[in-house]
Amino acid sequence: MSLLDVRDLSIVFSRRGRRDVRAVDEVTFSVAAGETVGLVGESGCGKSVTSLAIMGLLPKRGAAVGGSIKFDGTELTSLPADKMRGLRGRDIAMVFQDPMTSLNPVIPIGLQVTEVLRRHRDMDAAAASKEAASLLERVGIPDPARRLKEYPHQLSGGMRQRALIAMALACKPRLLIADEPTTALDVTIQAQILELLKELVVDSGTALVMITHDLGVVAGMCDSVHVMYSGRIVERASRWELFEAPRHPYTAGLLASVPRLDQARGEKLEPIPGSPRDTIPWTQGCAFAPRCRNRIESCTQGAPELVADKLRPDHDLRCFNPIDVAEQEAVTL
Amino acid sequence: MSTEKQQPAGNGRDAENLLSVRGLQVHFPIKKGILVDRVVGHVKAVDGVDLDVAKGTTYGLVGESGCGKSTLGRAILRLIEPTAGTISFDGVDVRAQRGEDMRRLRRRMQMVFQDPLASLDPRQSVESVLTEPLRTHGYGNGKADHAKRVRELLDVVGLPANAAGRYPHEFSGGQRQRVGIARALALSPDLIIADEPVSALDVSIQAQIVNLLEELQEQLGLTYIVVAHDLAVVRHVSDTIGVMYLGALVEESPSDDLYAEPLHPYTIALMSAIPIPDPKVEERRERILLTGDLPSPANTPPGCRFHTRCPFRQPKRCADELPALREIRPGRKVACHYAEDIAAGHIRPAESVHDPAATEVGTPTVVAS
Ligand SMILES: Nc1ncnc2c1ncn2[C@@H]1O[C@H](COP(=O)(O)OP(=O)(O)OP(=O)(O)O)[C@@H](O)[C@H]1O
Ligand SMILES: Nc1ncnc2c1ncn2[C@@H]1O[C@H](COP(=O)(O)OP(=O)(O)O)[C@@H](O)[C@H]1O
Ligand code: SF4
Ligand code: SF4
Ligand SMILES: [Mg+2]
Ligand SMILES: [Mg+2]
Repeated sequence: MSLLDVRDLSIVFSRRGRRDVRAVDEVTFSVAAGETVGLVGESGCGKSVTSLAIMGLLPKRGAAVGGSIKFDGTELTSLPADKMRGLRGRDIAMVFQDPMTSLNPVIPIGLQVTEVLRRHRDMDAAAASKEAASLLERVGIPDPARRLKEYPHQLSGGMRQRALIAMALACKPRLLIADEPTTALDVTIQAQILELLKELVVDSGTALVMITHDLGVVAGMCDSVHVMYSGRIVERASRWELFEAPRHPYTAGLLASVPRLDQARGEKLEPIPGSPRDTIPWTQGCAFAPRCRNRIESCTQGAPELVADKLRPDHDLRCFNPIDVAEQEAVTL
Repeated sequence: MSTEKQQPAGNGRDAENLLSVRGLQVHFPIKKGILVDRVVGHVKAVDGVDLDVAKGTTYGLVGESGCGKSTLGRAILRLIEPTAGTISFDGVDVRAQRGEDMRRLRRRMQMVFQDPLASLDPRQSVESVLTEPLRTHGYGNGKADHAKRVRELLDVVGLPANAAGRYPHEFSGGQRQRVGIARALALSPDLIIADEPVSALDVSIQAQIVNLLEELQEQLGLTYIVVAHDLAVVRHVSDTIGVMYLGALVEESPSDDLYAEPLHPYTIALMSAIPIPDPKVEERRERILLTGDLPSPANTPPGCRFHTRCPFRQPKRCADELPALREIRPGRKVACHYAEDIAAGHIRPAESVHDPAATEVGTPTVVAS
C-alpha cells in the first residue's frame, strides 16, 4: 500500500489579464513507506509546484489544483487548512533548495529545532534541547551545543541545509519531500546529506520524494524515477532500467548530454537541440516535438498518453516513437 | 593547436606556455573600527599559486565554493589586484603593465561569466553589447567594420544575424551565454577565463555550450582557464586540472588521470563524492565522507591546510608542516607529505578521526555503499 498517492494532478495558475498557465498536468505517482521516488527534469518543468501542492503550500488565490493527492488514505486537496498544518511538520516534512526560505532568520537554530520537538513530539524544554543537540550531531554539524545558540546567518549554506534536515528529522516524518536539497551545496557536503537521507529512509521507513535535476543523484538513490517535461511525466521506470536503456527521447537526450567522470574523455557531447523554451502546448501534440530527433508525423497531431511500455513491464512512456531497444535485450531484462 | 600566433616568448621561459603564474596571492584585508578602519586580519583567498597554461590548451580549476577559484581567475586578469606574485602572459610581465599597455594587453585576455544575464545590461541590444569593446579598443575603421564584426561574432557562436537587434531578456539562458562568449571573442583574445560558464544553465543546454567552447578552441587556437565546481564538466573540457583547497593548489594532474587515480586525500574524497549517472556504478562505489566544512580562509589551519578534515592524517608533520606542491610522477603534482604512501596503499583512510584541538573539525568516515 502506498503512503502517498497522487492521481491526475493538475495545477493551473491564473492571473487577471494573462493567459492561464497549466504548470502541471496528468501527474500520477505513488510512494510507499521506505521507498524513494525521484522526480527529474529541467528548470520550470513543474517539480517544485508539484511538491508545493502536496504540502498544501500553493497560494490559495490564482492556483487551481485538480486531481487527487491522498496521504495514508486522506484526501489532501480538500483538507481544511488547520488539519493540513497539523500534518505538515509532523507527518509530512519538506526540505527546500534554499534553506533560508524555511528558517526564521531572527530565531536561533536551536530554538527552531526544539520548537518542532515540543510541538510535534510533546517534549519538555530540557528533553527537547537534548534531542536537538543530538539531531544536529547526527546531521554532522560539529560542536552542536554552540551551534544551537547561533542564528541562521551565522551558519554556512551547507550547515543551514543540515539544520533544516535536522528539523525535518526532528518529527520523524512519514513522508519527506526534498526539493533540490543539495543543489546549492558542494559535492562533499552533498555526499554527507544524501547519506543522511538514505539512512532516514532505511532506519525510519520514511517515504522520500527526491526532486532533482542531477541524474547522478537519482542513479544513486531512487527506487523509481519519473522524468518530467513541460508539466507532464514522460517516462517512469526503475532507476536500473531508466539508465540502462532509456526509452523516451528526452530521457536519452539528457543522459547523452552529461559528461561522465568515469568514462573516457574526448567524445563530443550530444546536446538536446533547442532549449526548454522551444516547447509546444500539449494540446497541439508532444511538447518535446520541436527538439526531438525521433519526431514523426503523429507527434504534432495529438498528444501522446502515458501508457505501459510495450517492451517492458513496469515501465511507462508518453511517446509515439520511443528509442528502439533491441527486442532481445528487452526480453533478457 | 594555434599555429599562426605562436611566437617564441623569449626570456628563457618555456615557449609553449602562454601563461605562467608564480606565487600569486590575493589577501583581502578584514577591517574593523568605528572612526578609523583598522586591519585586523586577512582573508587569504589565494595564497601562493603557481601554474602554467600551455598555448591552445585548457586548464581546469576545481574546488569547493569559497576556495578561491574565481578570485584566482580575476587576479590573473588583474580585475582584482594581486597582493603578491608574478603573472607572465606570452612573455610579458602582466603586473608591470600600466595605462595604455595594460589596456592593450587586456584585449588578449577575456572573461566569460557564470550568469549570462547578470553580466549583460538588460537595456543594451546585442549589437550594442558586442560593439562596445570594439569601440573602446578602436577596432577597425568605424561603423561598417563594427557591423561586419558583429555579424561574424554572431555567426561564430551560432546565433542568427537578426539576434543583433534583440535584447538579453528575449533569449534563453543558453543563447545569452552565447552572447557572453561572443563579447569575450570580440577582440580576438588569446586567453579566455570562463568562470562557471555552464552552471547556470539547464543540463540539456550545458552540452551545447561545452561543445561551442571546444569548437571555438579548435577554430581559433584559444587557450582557456575554466573555473567550475562540476568536475565532470571540467574534466571533459580540460587538458590539465588544478584542484584548489583554501586558496592553494593541492593537486595538479592531466585530466585523464585525475579520476582514475586521485593522489591528494582531498581529491580522493572529492572524486568519491561525485554522483555518477549509472546505478550500477553508484551501487559499488566506496564513498569517503568528509565532515565539517571548509575552514575560514581568514583563519587557515597551520601545517597542511587539509589536516583538519583529512581521513589520512598522520600524527607527524600534517598539523605543523606545510606540504609543498611536488611532482611525484611525471605530470602529477600533489601537496601531501604522504602522497606516495597513500598511493601505494600503505596508509588507509581512518574509519574515524577526531582532532579535539581543531574546532571546525568533524569526523571523516568511510562509507561503502
Ligand atoms: N572583495 C572581497 N573581500 C573580502 N573577501 C572576499 C572578497 N572576494 C572574495 N572574498 C573571499 O575570498 C574567498 C574566495 O572567494 P571566491 O569567490 O574566489 O571563491 P570561489 O571558489 O569562486 O567560490 P564560489 O564557487 O562560491 O564562487 C571567500 O572566502 C570569499 O568570501
Ligand atoms: N506563482 C506562480 N505563478 C505563475 N506561474 C508559476 C508560479 N509558480 C510557478 N509557476 C510556473 O510553473 C512552472 C513550473 O515551475 P516550478 O515547479 O517552480 O519548476 P521547477 O521544475 O524548476 O521546480 C514554470 O513554468 C513556472 O514559471
Ligand atoms: S512523442 Fe514524438 S516528439 Fe514526442 S518524444 Fe516521442 S517521438 Fe519525440
Ligand atoms: S599532508 Fe597529511 S593532512 Fe595533509 S593531505 Fe597529506 S596526509 Fe592529509
Ligand atoms: Mg524548483
Ligand atoms: Mg566562484
